[in-house]
Amino acid sequence: MNWIWFHKLGSPKWFFHWADRWSKLIFIFGVSLFLLGIIWGLVFAPEDYQQGNSFRIIYIHVPSAMLAQSCYLALGISGIVSLVWQMKMAPIFIKSVAPIGAVMAIIALLSGAIWGKPTWGTWWVWDARLTSVLVLFILYMGVIAIQNSFDDTRLSDKAAVVISVVGLINLPIIKYSVDWWNTLHQPATFSIIEKPSMPAEMWVPLLFCVVGLYLFTVGVTCWRMQTELLIREKRSNWIKAEVLDSGV
Amino acid sequence: MAFESFSDFLAMGTHGHYVWSVYGISLFLLVGITVQSITAKKSQIKRLRKLSLGKQNTHAPD
Amino acid sequence: MTYLSFFKSELKLVIRRKQDIVNSLVFFLMIVTLFPLGVNPSSSFLEPAAGGIIWCSTTLAILMSVETMFKEDFHDGSLEQLVISGLYLPFLILLKLTVQWLAVLLPLLILSPLFSSMLFLPWSILSVLIFTLLLGSPALFLIGTIGAALTLSLRRGAVLMLLIILPFYLPVIIFATGAITAAQTGQDYMGQLAILAAISLAALALSPGMAAISIKASIN
Repeated sequence: MNWIWFHKLGSPKWFFHWADRWSKLIFIFGVSLFLLGIIWGLVFAPEDYQQGNSFRIIYIHVPSAMLAQSCYLALGISGIVSLVWQMKMAPIFIKSVAPIGAVMAIIALLSGAIWGKPTWGTWWVWDARLTSVLVLFILYMGVIAIQNSFDDTRLSDKAAVVISVVGLINLPIIKYSVDWWNTLHQPATFSIIEKPSMPAEMWVPLLFCVVGLYLFTVGVTCWRMQTELLIREKRSNWIKAEVLDSGV
Repeated sequence: MAFESFSDFLAMGTHGHYVWSVYGISLFLLVGITVQSITAKKSQIKRLRKLSLGKQNTHAPD
Repeated sequence: MTYLSFFKSELKLVIRRKQDIVNSLVFFLMIVTLFPLGVNPSSSFLEPAAGGIIWCSTTLAILMSVETMFKEDFHDGSLEQLVISGLYLPFLILLKLTVQWLAVLLPLLILSPLFSSMLFLPWSILSVLIFTLLLGSPALFLIGTIGAALTLSLRRGAVLMLLIILPFYLPVIIFATGAITAAQTGQDYMGQLAILAAISLAALALSPGMAAISIKASIN
C-alpha cells in the first residue's frame, strides 16, 4: 500500500494547501447533503406509526451520536499516531476536533433527551446509550480542559495525546461496563434505531444526514487545524507568504 | 408529502415542540461552531498580516 | 488601589479563566452521573436523593474553589500587598469571596434545572433547591475562607483544611437537604430556610474578620 499520503499528511505545509483547496468544497457538499436529508426527513418521510412525528428527531440524533463517537475514535487514533510516529499534525488534529466532537455529543444528548419525553414520558433516562454518550462528553471536556490548562504548547500537546490514548483504551471498557450496568438495572428497554424494517423513505434521508454531517465535520476541522497552524507556525516563511498572498 | 398543510407541518401532530426545539438547538450549535471556526481563522490571518506588514515597515530604508 | 478596583481586577481574573468555570461545571456533571451509575439509576432512588446529591456536589465544588482562593496570591506576593495596602482587609476578603461565589454559583444555578431533571427532581421543588443554594452557599464559602486562611502557609494544608471546616458544613447541609425533603413530602420548609439564612448571616459577620486575622498571622 502506498503510504506516501500518510506521510504527506504529516507536513503542515502540505496540509494547509490541501485544506485551502478542498475544505470549502467538502463543507458545502456536506452541508447540502445534510440539509437535503433533513428536509426530506422532515417533510417527505412518512410518519412513524408507533412514535408519530417525533421520530423525525432521528435525523439529527443518529448522525450527531455517530459523529460524537467517530470524532473521539479519530482523536484517540491521532494520539497513538503522535506517540508512535511523532507526527506534528496529530496534536493539532486533536485540539481541532475535540470541540466539534463535544458539540456533537451535546446535540446527541439533547436530541435524545427531548426525543425521550414523548416516547418514554421522561426527559432523561439513565440507560446505556445516553449514559455512554454523557461519559463521552465528559471525556471530550477533559481533552479540551487539559489543552487549555498549559501555557507551554509542547506540554499541552503531550498531555492531550496521553489523555486521548488513555481515553481510547478506556472507551470500550467504559461502554462495556455501562452496558453491563444497564442489564442490571433494566430501565425502559427501547430501541429507537434498531428498527430493521425502516422503509427506504425513512433511512435514505438518514444516510444523507449522516454522510453530510461527516463531511461538515471534515470541513470545519480543516479550518480549525489551519487556524492552529497559523498560530503555531507563524514564524515560518511559508505561513508568512500564505498570509500576505491569500485573501481568505 | 407527509403533511396536509403547513400548519400541520409546524404542529407535527402534537410533537411540534419537541421536534422543532431539537432542530433549533442543533442547528444553532452547528452554525455556532462553524462561525466560531471561520472567524477564528480569519482574525488570525488578519493578525499575522498586520504583524508582518508592521515588520516590513520597520525595516531600515535601503 | 481602591475597593472597587480590587473587585474589578478579581472579576477580570475570573472571567479570563473561563476554563476554570467550565471545569467546575463538568465536575458537577460528573458527580451527578456518579450517583446513578454507582447506586441506582431509577427515579425511586434518585428522586428523594436528588437534593442531597446536588448539595454534595456543591459542597465539593465550593471546597475546591475555596482551597485555591488564597494560594496563588500568597505565593506571588499579592496577598502581602493587600495586607499592607491600608485598606480594610476583612472587606477585601469579602470582595474576593463574592467573586468566587459568583463564579461557582451562577453557572450552577443556570444548570440546576438540567441536573435536577437528570435526577428526577420534580420541577416544583426546583425553586426550593435554588433557594437553599442561594441561602446556604454563602455560609459554605465564608466558613471555607476561614479554613483556607488558616492553612495558607502549610504545604499540605488541603486535607487539614477539610478536616477543620467539614464539621461546620454539616448543619448547612442538614438544613438544606432537610428543606428539600420537606418540600418533597409537602411539609413546610420555611423554618429550614430561615435557619440557613441565619447561619449565612452569622458567618458573614464573623468570617471576614477571622480570616483576616489568620492571613495577617500567616504573612508575618
